[in-house]
Amino acid sequence: MTRRFDSFPYLLLLPAFLLTLTIVAWPLFETFRLSLTNASLRPGEEYVGFENYIEIFEDDFFEVIQRTFVWMFFGVALKLIVGTIGAVLLNAALPGRNLFRILIMPPWIVPIAIGVFMWSWMYNGQFGMISGVAQKIGMLSGPFEFLAHKNSAFFATIVTDVWVGTPLVALYLLAAMQSIPKELHEAAWVDGASRFYRFRRITLPLLAPSIFTMGLLSAIWTFNSFDIIWILTEGGPRGATTTMIIDTYKTAISRFRFGEGSARAVMILLCLTAFSAVNLMLMARAGRKAGAK
Amino acid sequence: MKTRTMLFAGAALACMAQTAAAQEELHFINCGSNDAAEAAVQAKHVAAWEADNPEFSVNMEYVPWGQCQEKAITLASAGSPAALAYLGSRVLPQLADAGLLKPVELTEEEAASYEPSVLATIQFNGQNWGVPRAFSTRALFYNKDLFEQAGLDMPDGPQTWEDVMTAAKAVTENTDARGLGIAAASFDNTMHQFLSWLYANGGEVINADGEVVFDSPETVETLQFYADMLPYAQEGPVAYDRGKLEPLFAEGKIAMMQQSFGFRARTGDANYGVTWVPTGPSGEGHSTLLITDSLAVFEGSGVEDAAMSLAKYLSETERQAEFDDVGGWTPVRDTELTRALPGKDPNWAYFLGSVAEGGPEPQVVDYNALQDVMNESIQGVILGELSPEEAAQEVADELNDLID
Repeated sequence: MTRRFDSFPYLLLLPAFLLTLTIVAWPLFETFRLSLTNASLRPGEEYVGFENYIEIFEDDFFEVIQRTFVWMFFGVALKLIVGTIGAVLLNAALPGRNLFRILIMPPWIVPIAIGVFMWSWMYNGQFGMISGVAQKIGMLSGPFEFLAHKNSAFFATIVTDVWVGTPLVALYLLAAMQSIPKELHEAAWVDGASRFYRFRRITLPLLAPSIFTMGLLSAIWTFNSFDIIWILTEGGPRGATTTMIIDTYKTAISRFRFGEGSARAVMILLCLTAFSAVNLMLMARAGRKAGAK
Repeated sequence: MKTRTMLFAGAALACMAQTAAAQEELHFINCGSNDAAEAAVQAKHVAAWEADNPEFSVNMEYVPWGQCQEKAITLASAGSPAALAYLGSRVLPQLADAGLLKPVELTEEEAASYEPSVLATIQFNGQNWGVPRAFSTRALFYNKDLFEQAGLDMPDGPQTWEDVMTAAKAVTENTDARGLGIAAASFDNTMHQFLSWLYANGGEVINADGEVVFDSPETVETLQFYADMLPYAQEGPVAYDRGKLEPLFAEGKIAMMQQSFGFRARTGDANYGVTWVPTGPSGEGHSTLLITDSLAVFEGSGVEDAAMSLAKYLSETERQAEFDDVGGWTPVRDTELTRALPGKDPNWAYFLGSVAEGGPEPQVVDYNALQDVMNESIQGVILGELSPEEAAQEVADELNDLID
């Protein structure tokens, strides 16, 4: 007896398939197609093969890739560290805990542009708070422009990114922390385990999958972060904060070199895909290790 | 009675709806701020044009300079252009080259009414691509009180780069302020300010034969002037565009900066004087950067003729003069009004007198690429990463590539 082909499940899948095709597959295909052309503001475009890819590697693109990963590494690491500490503090049985859980939200809720403008004033040497306070306490002998020097501008953009991204990390890890059975902590406490020992041997291992997941998501968001750097430095001084996304924007949108810009966008996609694959592999290995134990 | 009233009201509403439906929208993008003094004058003139052309309604959109040109160009390249845009004339070659603009036909009389240097800024490949709207020249503003505190005897302000250096050093060493405001952020006016100094030193970017001559001794001298001036400029010039320097001047934290005539209204309590952009060691006479903004009509909006009509209406001699006067712009036309300006305010002499020897923004199709490389080279000198010679060469090489 042969089974009749049932098209109904495929019909149910069709809307999702079409949606994915329209908003994911088509733009990806179009970006790749454009990356093989010399498309610009001028009408018409010619196929140029992999010329755009060769050209970007003749520029300082490796430097941009390296800078992007360093920026992402510091941003994500700090968000995870500060977010974990925040989650532990918010999870502690302290009076006014709920109020603190609300107060941690503004950096994440405030529109990014407004928050970042506030930071740009704080970094101002003449009128900004940070330089002012540093001068008052004798750390600086005169005004210091944080966004005018390569290293300070690079770290200033990371600090702002950490400020924007930490609340979400903290709340996500707080939720994960609250799902850890209390009995484990109680049993360890009865056995005389210290607070730090319980955190290290119970909380942290059980939190690890969530930290990995948040780390991966945060890495993708940080990698693609545009507004913070653009508003603070536009990629300067002299390229010190130009990450791949800023470089792509400058090429494709500011200079209207759509072909070259698309090649850069494809490189971002490849980098993120490789990064995600490695991360997922590590997560899977960690999961297997945990299962074996 | 009640039924009749309702019928009348219904008919009136239907008529209004029909009129509204019959009106075509004319999208007009303006770079800048809608609280600038000249915006109200422009709004008045637009309303008058709408009254004369009831079949059109003008949708004015003000967009800050940082994003404006990109927005107008992106809309046009995506096939949904604004009808009209107020843009920096520097982007006209790129838009014209891409076939996104409608050429502007000027009668001989109309063309003759503009300063030749103004007209040159809207021309590309033998055609006009915009209607000149705003013209800006630069002079040096200096704080007389700070000069006095520093013990300087320069009643007419600094006239040469040597004077600027002497004054900047004296102010930095004898007051709490710094000598000169230098803009070096990744923004257009970093290049503008540099070009003014360069032109005042007799330098050029592209010569009359279309050759790149940026790697010249004059350019190297100008970049060296920046490097030498660093100890006497505000801390961290790379974080400052011209707009951010303004509060420093108004607060008495810097003693000198380049600006256009309209800056007078934003100088706060500063007791300022104005003089020419000081002449460099290789310069002669008084020069400045000549910048214009234009009204550009985009192809493909469906209301091109109406947009052109509005552009010409707004720039008609008397209306344009009112716009220039209120906005503090250097007049785009040489009229009786222009000639009377130094009588109204003697400072005008410095902004008008340097027009004849002034230089334009370099006309290249990929203007943003030029601007980026020039800004980064200036930053390279300021950060100590490039020598003036290397920086000049870097820009010249990129410019040659762009022209090729």
